[in-house]
Amino acid sequence: MNSARGWTAPVQLVGERVLEGIEEVGGMALLLIGLLRALVPPRISGRELLRQLNKMAVSSVPIVMLTAFFTGSIMVIQSGIFVKRFGAYGLLGWGAGYAVLREVGPLLIGLMFSGRVGSNNAAELATMTVTEQIDGLRALAIEPIRYLIVPRVLAMVIAMLCLLVIGDLVALGGGALLTRILFHVEFSSLFHSLFDNLKPWDFLIGVIKSIFFGFAIALTSCHFGTSVKGGAIGVGRAVNDAVVAAALAIMVSDYLLTLVLR
Amino acid sequence: MLALSRVRKLFRGAPVLDGIELTIRRGETWGLCGPGASGKSVLLKVMCGLLRSDGGNVRIAGVPIEQADEPTLMGLRARFGMLFQNNALFDFMTVGDNVAFPLTRRGGVDPEEIRSRVADRLRAVGLAGSENRFPSELSGGMRKRVGIARAVIARPDILIYDEPTAGLDPVTTSKIYDLLLREREETGATVVVVSSDLPPLLRFAPRIAMIYRGQLHYDGPSSEAADAPDPIVRQFLRGEVEGPL
Amino acid sequence: MKRWLDGIRLFNYVARQTVIAAVRGRRPRGELLRQMDQLGNRSVLFIAVTLGFISMVLVFQTCLQINHITGDLSQVGAEFAKILVHEFGPTLTAMMLATRVGAGIAAEVGSMVVTEQVDALQMCGVDPIEYLISPRFLASLLMTAVLTVLGITVALGMGALIAYLSFHVNPRIFFDLSRIQPGDLATGMAKVVAYGAAIPIVSGFCGLTTHGGSEGVGGATTRAVIASSFAVIALDLFLSCTGLLLFQGGL
Repeated sequence: MNSARGWTAPVQLVGERVLEGIEEVGGMALLLIGLLRALVPPRISGRELLRQLNKMAVSSVPIVMLTAFFTGSIMVIQSGIFVKRFGAYGLLGWGAGYAVLREVGPLLIGLMFSGRVGSNNAAELATMTVTEQIDGLRALAIEPIRYLIVPRVLAMVIAMLCLLVIGDLVALGGGALLTRILFHVEFSSLFHSLFDNLKPWDFLIGVIKSIFFGFAIALTSCHFGTSVKGGAIGVGRAVNDAVVAAALAIMVSDYLLTLVLR
Repeated sequence: MLALSRVRKLFRGAPVLDGIELTIRRGETWGLCGPGASGKSVLLKVMCGLLRSDGGNVRIAGVPIEQADEPTLMGLRARFGMLFQNNALFDFMTVGDNVAFPLTRRGGVDPEEIRSRVADRLRAVGLAGSENRFPSELSGGMRKRVGIARAVIARPDILIYDEPTAGLDPVTTSKIYDLLLREREETGATVVVVSSDLPPLLRFAPRIAMIYRGQLHYDGPSSEAADAPDPIVRQFLRGEVEGPL
Repeated sequence: MKRWLDGIRLFNYVARQTVIAAVRGRRPRGELLRQMDQLGNRSVLFIAVTLGFISMVLVFQTCLQINHITGDLSQVGAEFAKILVHEFGPTLTAMMLATRVGAGIAAEVGSMVVTEQVDALQMCGVDPIEYLISPRFLASLLMTAVLTVLGITVALGMGALIAYLSFHVNPRIFFDLSRIQPGDLATGMAKVVAYGAAIPIVSGFCGLTTHGGSEGVGGATTRAVIASSFAVIALDLFLSCTGLLLFQGGL
């Protein structure tokens, strides 16, 4: 950025980024503590929770179904390329199903959920912040965390979980359809391959991942939404930061979860 | 210079402008006022070809813009100088580059002349020597003045000022209108001003119009506006609480 | 229905205008470099971290499964490199760029729309598509390619690392590029070009169609993330199908 720094500039840039990153992580940790404190007597406005759930889950169903359908199809093509070389068509359903349930399904649905719900939530909270609505709540002696953040975080975790289950079903269905069309594998042999080789655990891993992803998306979007500065431009930047942080959080927690859950 | 006839503009099916009839002659100064959300800004944008109307026709310097293709429209827009409600200064450019922008884009003007004209305009608005500052470092009134400098630098035929004094204190407001007056005398351009700040507008524009719910309710000499037959116009100009508004 | 059709027509116009202006090449000086820095350099760390972690996950999962069945891990590296080139490298990099770059473009252009800067450009006789979207389009085409190469490199490195640490696969056996065929490279490159072109056009369109104040900018950014991510997934399916039919000997 600054030409006067000379050859150390790249190092300084990395350092600056790391420091900025640490600051944001710290902000999220504080938010997490506030969240837990607000949960201690668990007084959650049920109506607000339902409203958020409706907004987040129901409105995302179409995009998640489309994503899942495409994901299932892509996985069938990819494992098809592999399987065809060995002539082992019996493994096709297993290969695609395994990848979708354990890994690619939660990952892509998580990313789309972050794009749809996480960024929407960040934008909404950021707009409330720059138009001083959050200060308005404080002035009325209403705790923003309890009133605004807690229902949103809960709603996002629940919504992500439900959407993953729907997405898994659609992805498997779409994959089966494409297998039938492209590779002429009968549905029956496909589902045998699927159910003989996959265990409930494979499905559960995806579900557990979705809970963590949902929480990560909720935390990042609420943090960047409430820590926004500066007008319309600030709102755009906050949304941008929120989705980037959510993507990073998804990737890192995916890795950690993979190590823990086998 | 500008002629609108039976202009309609719909927004999501609801009319924002409804049957606007209007002619503004060369060199005239025309003021427009009206309550919030009555269609002032939309009318301005239709006038200068930024928005296409949904009915009727708009002529700029005799050219009907409904059938005009994009290059013709670009050429027509270049005859306008516009001050936007929020100034619309390019925040990624310095003040100097902002003011120079209409000239640099046109091409054919050599850089030395551009520099001297920018310096001259900035001096005229009382911001001499602030070429290298960024818009974010300026106060609201200063940004407005940079916006005026940018609007007039290319010596346009038509000057449009959208809310030149919104959110400014009375002293700054007077200074801005002084500036507009001087620019008008210097350039002799056709001027269109939109403002909700009535007293200075009435002093500045000999002819004013009032728009309400997408229709022009008055268009005539500003001295007679407060005694107009239409009760809506009378109430708005006198600022009375009781009335049809 | 009419609004949908209008939207499609407008999108078509934006896309065509962007490409025409990019080819004709009338750009403000230095703008392309500025955008390449903005889009590319600022995404390096993000792409490296995300692709690094996801590749570790993918290699880990694959090794785990193969251990259950045959236990022969010698082919993992070769197959991973192949699928990385024609599928995961380009697509995951683009998914990440769709969030980072797509949101960035929409936020920037969207705030210029609500502060009337785009109107001001037009009043100065400047086509906002030519001025704002085209440089981003060119920068994205170039930087998506560069970042994909970076992503693949990091992914291979981190994949080898986790294979060595968790399953004791010798990195010399893991780094095996012999399975990559010209068809894989062609599919991968076609994807890179398609994603690089789609992301700025889609998100630029979302930015230019912003309505309202700060809420509008937030909405435009959201739409851009969703639309460009989805464009990547849809293009992936289409190009994978085409690649399968052309290069893998059809069905």
